[in-house]
Amino acid sequence: MLVEWMMNGHAILYTGVTLAFWSTILVVGICYTIFDLGFRFDVAWFLTETSPFMWANLGIGLAISLSVVGAAWGIYITGSSIIGGGVKAPRIKTKNLVSIIFCEAVAIYGIIMAIVISNMAENFSGTTPETIGARNYQAGYSMFGAGLTVGFSNLFCGICVGIVGSGAALADAQNANLFVKILIVEIFGSAIGLFGVIVAILQTSKVKMGD
Amino acid sequence: MATRKMRLFSSISASFAVLFTLLNTGRCDEQVPLMLWTSEGTSLPSQSPPAAGHIVGRDQLDAYLHTALGSGPRNVLLFLQDKMSIEDFTIYGGAFGNKQDSAFRNLEGALLSSPSPLVLPAVSWPGSNAVIGALQDQLETSPLYMDAETLGQLRLNSSSPALLVFRLPYGTGSDLMSAKEILSGNDEVIGQVLSIMKTQSVPYLAIYTALQPSQEAAAALSLEVGAGGGRSLLQARASHKEREQERERKRKVKEKAGVYGPVEFKKMELYQSKERENTCILLWATGLSVSILRGGRWDDHDLTPSTFGEGVTPKLHGSMCDQTKARLVLNYEDVLGHRNFKLIFAMSQRHYSVSARRWFTMDQVELEYDGTKATFNGSRSIYAPAEYSYRCDAVSSFRWPSLFPRSAKDPANQWRVSFEDFQIQGFNVSGQDFSYASDCAGFFTPGIWMGLMSSLLMVLVLTYGLHMIMQLRTMDRFDDPKGPAISVPLTE
Repeated sequence: MLVEWMMNGHAILYTGVTLAFWSTILVVGICYTIFDLGFRFDVAWFLTETSPFMWANLGIGLAISLSVVGAAWGIYITGSSIIGGGVKAPRIKTKNLVSIIFCEAVAIYGIIMAIVISNMAENFSGTTPETIGARNYQAGYSMFGAGLTVGFSNLFCGICVGIVGSGAALADAQNANLFVKILIVEIFGSAIGLFGVIVAILQTSKVKMGD
Repeated sequence: MATRKMRLFSSISASFAVLFTLLNTGRCDEQVPLMLWTSEGTSLPSQSPPAAGHIVGRDQLDAYLHTALGSGPRNVLLFLQDKMSIEDFTIYGGAFGNKQDSAFRNLEGALLSSPSPLVLPAVSWPGSNAVIGALQDQLETSPLYMDAETLGQLRLNSSSPALLVFRLPYGTGSDLMSAKEILSGNDEVIGQVLSIMKTQSVPYLAIYTALQPSQEAAAALSLEVGAGGGRSLLQARASHKEREQERERKRKVKEKAGVYGPVEFKKMELYQSKERENTCILLWATGLSVSILRGGRWDDHDLTPSTFGEGVTPKLHGSMCDQTKARLVLNYEDVLGHRNFKLIFAMSQRHYSVSARRWFTMDQVELEYDGTKATFNGSRSIYAPAEYSYRCDAVSSFRWPSLFPRSAKDPANQWRVSFEDFQIQGFNVSGQDFSYASDCAGFFTPGIWMGLMSSLLMVLVLTYGLHMIMQLRTMDRFDDPKGPAISVPLTE
């Protein structure tokens, strides 16, 4: 049975890639250790030599893209249920649109945060770690962190709301009284996206990029 | 069987023939342009200019000159430049819509106003050198080498033949004048000569050509093409010159790098109850140079021949080394006008707790002269584990600097130091060789890391998306291959 499972093309590809990646890391690490070149593995050098702009823009990109993935996934799940259930019980379609709106809100959080974060990116004139200055580094990392925060929060919030909304639609199709109670579950699910936005705003509140 | 063998043989011989002709043409692909025009009022029988890309051979050139001189004026002005290529006209002739920058205004004016100009963009060289000889034969007179001043004193006659040769320079490699300035100067001379001829109102035939193709233009072009070409020639010029200078410098440095040992500073040490001389500091480089800013210019002095080489022993008075500090003092005489000049490398080593090992840093590079001390800080980028030596391809204070003046008012701001292929070790020297060299250049640059990170992220996203798309299935619950096919009638 294991062989049958392995015969799946996806599984072979993913195991192959993972194996190659980790074995490269392992071999390189072992060589560095044996030849006493561990001092070359300098995380501080990596963090100070890479440009804060890269971090900032990765944060902005991740903020919007991960939020959109969450929203899209949620809408896909809920939408298919509503449409499917609406075939036999057409009355559900108007009320259940509120689930779609909860999912969409997650994408809106994402784009608002992306715009807020991208407004903080300013030009600075340093080229070496000393001339760039600690403030610019802090700005770059904060923007990256904020983007990551809001992105992942919205991703899982969107999926959560989507699955709950799908359940709500189908329950509503069976029995119209159930919908209102299930909506409360959805509201709790939606709150977690909001938490992500709040934390991201806190992270970028002290950001001041520039000279 | 026989036909196959014959076919094989003929194909091989054909390929050889093609290769041979290619190699042959490869040898004489040097060309020199030639321009010919007459004064206003005199016209020659019209000659068809050569087709584009056609290289005019020796015989054809003779034919052109024969026709021109046969019925044309007997006074010939030959402007002979040292080197010329058609690329010079492209680069400096304002061919890219910038006519005001053209260096050939007088030449253009003469060609446009002449009733019968002839431009041969490519005359094969070295056959074109025979142009003086050909003119001599046809005019039956010997050439007179002149310049603009002596022309004014000469009285020309339209009936008696005269061959006046004006040599024009094309110096390369001198930083004082760029090629453009030289060509503009030559154009000025042409303009002066033509105006003098006009005042004398003697009909003439003028020829503008060169003795050699200008290698610089050809080399520049091939370099640009080689370096992923297609760039604008005008754009490439300035940076090419700088790169050429860099390459010259590096070539000189490489020539100097014969095999020689490092500078060693030895110290008397008590070892096993015996006094022994142990090497304590090692230094090696292929180039050590200092420059001072004087009157807006940088005066360089190369310290390498007085420091390294066979039989060269630099004076190391004042150097010291112990467990935590090492100081190498190189004493020189008469550097840039200073009698006693010292180049000092100050290093120190200590234990750093975060990495749990000992590191050494180059704290200062000092220049001491006439009681003044110029200090450069080097601890930011010149460091290595204490057991190893530090090696870097270029340590300088101005180009991707690793040495910085200690403060904004330090005399070091007037100095530039530059070390090439620099290796130094101040601690844990065993024997007379360097330990493992910790290079200043890592395997990946910051740019490579940034690219890798972003690419990896996007590959991850792509993988995830692909995975999701590939697991979409069409619904096949109600498929019935044996049932009737669905029909959608057009009519209601």
